[in-house]
Amino acid sequence: MSDKFKSRLNVASLFLLFGLLFLFNRYGSGYQIRILNNIGVFITLAVSYNLINGVCGLLHLGPNGFIAIGAYTSALLSMTPAEKQLNFILGQVIWPLSVIHVPFVVSLIAAGIAAAFFAFLISFPVLRVRGDYLAIVTLGFGEVVRVLCNAGERVTNGPLGLKGLYPHTNLWWSWGVATLAVVVIQRLIDSNYGLAMKAIREDEDAARAMGVNPFRSLMLAFLISAFFSGIAGGLLAHLITTISPALFTFFLTFNLLIMIVVGGLGSTTGAIIGAVLFSWGGEALRIVEQPMEIGSFTIPGIPGMRMVIFSLVLMLVILFASKGIMGRNELSWDYLESKFARFRGTKTPQ
Amino acid sequence: MNPFFQMRHVTRRFGGLEAVGDFSITLERGELVGLIGPNGAGKTTTFNMMTGMLRPTAGDIIWKGENITRLPPHLITAKGIARTFQNIKLFSDMSVVENIMVSCHYSIDSSFLAAMLGLPKHKREEKRIREHSLKCLEEAGLAHLASERAQNLPYGLQRKLEIVRAIATRPGMLLLDEPVAGMNPTEKIELSAFIRRIREKSGITILLIEHDMKFVMNICQRIRVMNYGRSIAEGTPDEISSNPEVISAYLGDTPHAQD
Amino acid sequence: MSATLFLQQIINGISLGSLYALIAIGYTMVYGILRLINFAHGDLLMVAAYAAIYEISLFSLPWFFAFPLAIIATGAVGILLDRVAYRPLRQAPRISLLISAIGASFLMENLALVLIGGVPKPFPRPHFFSRVIEVGNLHILVLTIYSPVITLLLVMGLLYIVFKTRAGKAMRAASLDFEATRLMGINLDRIIALTFLLGSSLAAAGGIMWAMKYPQINPFMGVLPGLKAFIAAVIGGIGNIVGAVLGGFLLGLCEILIVALLPNLAEYRDAFAFLILIGVLLFRPTGIMGEPLT
Repeated sequence: MSDKFKSRLNVASLFLLFGLLFLFNRYGSGYQIRILNNIGVFITLAVSYNLINGVCGLLHLGPNGFIAIGAYTSALLSMTPAEKQLNFILGQVIWPLSVIHVPFVVSLIAAGIAAAFFAFLISFPVLRVRGDYLAIVTLGFGEVVRVLCNAGERVTNGPLGLKGLYPHTNLWWSWGVATLAVVVIQRLIDSNYGLAMKAIREDEDAARAMGVNPFRSLMLAFLISAFFSGIAGGLLAHLITTISPALFTFFLTFNLLIMIVVGGLGSTTGAIIGAVLFSWGGEALRIVEQPMEIGSFTIPGIPGMRMVIFSLVLMLVILFASKGIMGRNELSWDYLESKFARFRGTKTPQ
Repeated sequence: MNPFFQMRHVTRRFGGLEAVGDFSITLERGELVGLIGPNGAGKTTTFNMMTGMLRPTAGDIIWKGENITRLPPHLITAKGIARTFQNIKLFSDMSVVENIMVSCHYSIDSSFLAAMLGLPKHKREEKRIREHSLKCLEEAGLAHLASERAQNLPYGLQRKLEIVRAIATRPGMLLLDEPVAGMNPTEKIELSAFIRRIREKSGITILLIEHDMKFVMNICQRIRVMNYGRSIAEGTPDEISSNPEVISAYLGDTPHAQD
Repeated sequence: MSATLFLQQIINGISLGSLYALIAIGYTMVYGILRLINFAHGDLLMVAAYAAIYEISLFSLPWFFAFPLAIIATGAVGILLDRVAYRPLRQAPRISLLISAIGASFLMENLALVLIGGVPKPFPRPHFFSRVIEVGNLHILVLTIYSPVITLLLVMGLLYIVFKTRAGKAMRAASLDFEATRLMGINLDRIIALTFLLGSSLAAAGGIMWAMKYPQINPFMGVLPGLKAFIAAVIGGIGNIVGAVLGGFLLGLCEILIVALLPNLAEYRDAFAFLILIGVLLFRPTGIMGEPLT
């Protein structure tokens, strides 16, 4: 299959995707649109998280911090001064936030940059260590961000959070950003830069000996992951229209971890599948938490059961199927072609 | 005249243990030198210091007139010293050609942005890197295995691949740590020839650690012997093989020493 | 701040620190042998507390039966945790173990949520621990004094086991060289189970005292203390039991004193522990009792 043909297939798929989104946007129910938006945002989050944990092989447990920074940055910049006045009842938000008001797209870019800047700052301590230490330090940073959001009332409105955000996020935004993230991040992974990251994952000493600067490569991954996580945070904020520090706990990190592990640690396709399964599964499992009627019996709903099932799924996957659904493989046109050819009983031309 | 590579009075201590003591060595451009000694003599530690993986407790390392003692490994590689490892450290889950392409990373021109945006400049460079890597594999007779997972290769070829990967960084000096360990005699002869071809083609300086005496005597111009972290002898293969100190270091002083 | 108040805070700090110390020991022992951060360790506090509550309320056991029973039960849960979540992954990459630990932690918390409910339950603090001593201007809850004493007694008991028994020797050997210990014919799985038993029992003791100190218990009560105890273990030098104890006391003192001296920053209390952690990892990652990195 020639590169040109693959390009055409890619473009065609994009048209198909956005065509479907158009149809849902026009004719879908509010519920369906909400789920699709969720999936879109989670795809961005999962794919950027996979870049660090899957491709670079680092156990980064602090993405909740980057998402929080993105969410708050985007919210604070896009709210009008009047809206801020309504929210900050305990004490007026600090200048210049009190007067600033930018278009949504600008707030998103700012969200990405803010998260990336924070990632840049913490790279220096974080990337000095590996393994468990890196896990704990990143976890710590995620927690520190949350605590700061809780305590910094003049900036974030503390535990009260920000309400009444304008629901800017629609299918075009959530899936547009998701598509951009997937394309851009996958290009990075496929490039020589991605090879350097994978080499660090495989054997960091050998990578060093071949001229790879681990700090540079890992910081790059870190910044890009944070950038997209920040933007996704902004999208999330303007999707659920209310944010508070309680939204950005380790629980959020845990959800992302489930997505990429079940999908396949190291695979972008896996991350996408994981995000879809998680969002859809999360919705589907809601029924477990509601009372169910079967005939004349009513099975009472059990709140919290969803998380029990998710935790069980994660554990079962890691114990018995640690490679997840895709392993480290990607779904590609070449792969589909070989499957198709085999189905038709012909051999793929070498 | 400035020596190509020089280690001056290098010492490395781990707590109270002196792994390498007052070790000095000079290499001229294009030489093929062997570093031998019993297990635990400090040979790999010396390699680790040369490549920046360990910092000397005392002494300097000079490469092409520059003091590289405190530089990190990736910079030393960029400056032209490459190595292989005692235990194979290939990027197992990556393909054979991908292993080689990593070696081209430090000299990459296009930025990560160019990569992410899919700019033509980047695509051209990726093509160039792939072609260069495939060429390296061809010269080593490994091109037919380019897409194979590195860990699937038979042992002898894995060792060879490590050497090709190191050469792909375009070094001025190559450090080989037990290149023929675990190989059968045929493979050893083949690798011997391969190393000779590399030297003829690029004039590269090579320092190698080995335990196989036949291999070492056959291929090295000059041999340095270490024991207990210190130099005990240096000379041509003939001189070394008849040096009583060397013999006793390897074989011990007992009359029942084995061959 | 007056001298009396300062002294009160020191005592509070030591008391809090003693609880962190008990919990930290479990982390450090498991890490020493398995090189695993047992994320689910903190949740054992919750298990012990609920076990005690139900023993007292459902079976009307007096506290001096209920508490030791709860400790033993929690020890058993610790062994079960290893058997189910960690033993199958002995040969797996470290990241898998960490994920399993996180999964186990969330599973325990949410299972408790589902089975018991999220409404905080009051913990029945026995009279024995509820008296208040007056020394001059100081009013001290007797529990505050008992905690460090009990901690030290338990730690001494543990150190005896670790340094004076054969099982303890095996544990120390396993933490130095896992494979070699196995080659010496020692049943590693049993030693590891013992490690979990001891560590979990200590955490359970800490959990019960924690529940008496902060008597509203809920399924997520172990999260923050667990995390802080882990930080204490790192501060002291992860893998080192004495270090864990030192780290625990140090962290408890710092936490109380920082809030006492800088009351404006009280809300950032939890963040301090993490900042201390980051500081330690930056400047002395091997901790107080660890070897300085060359």
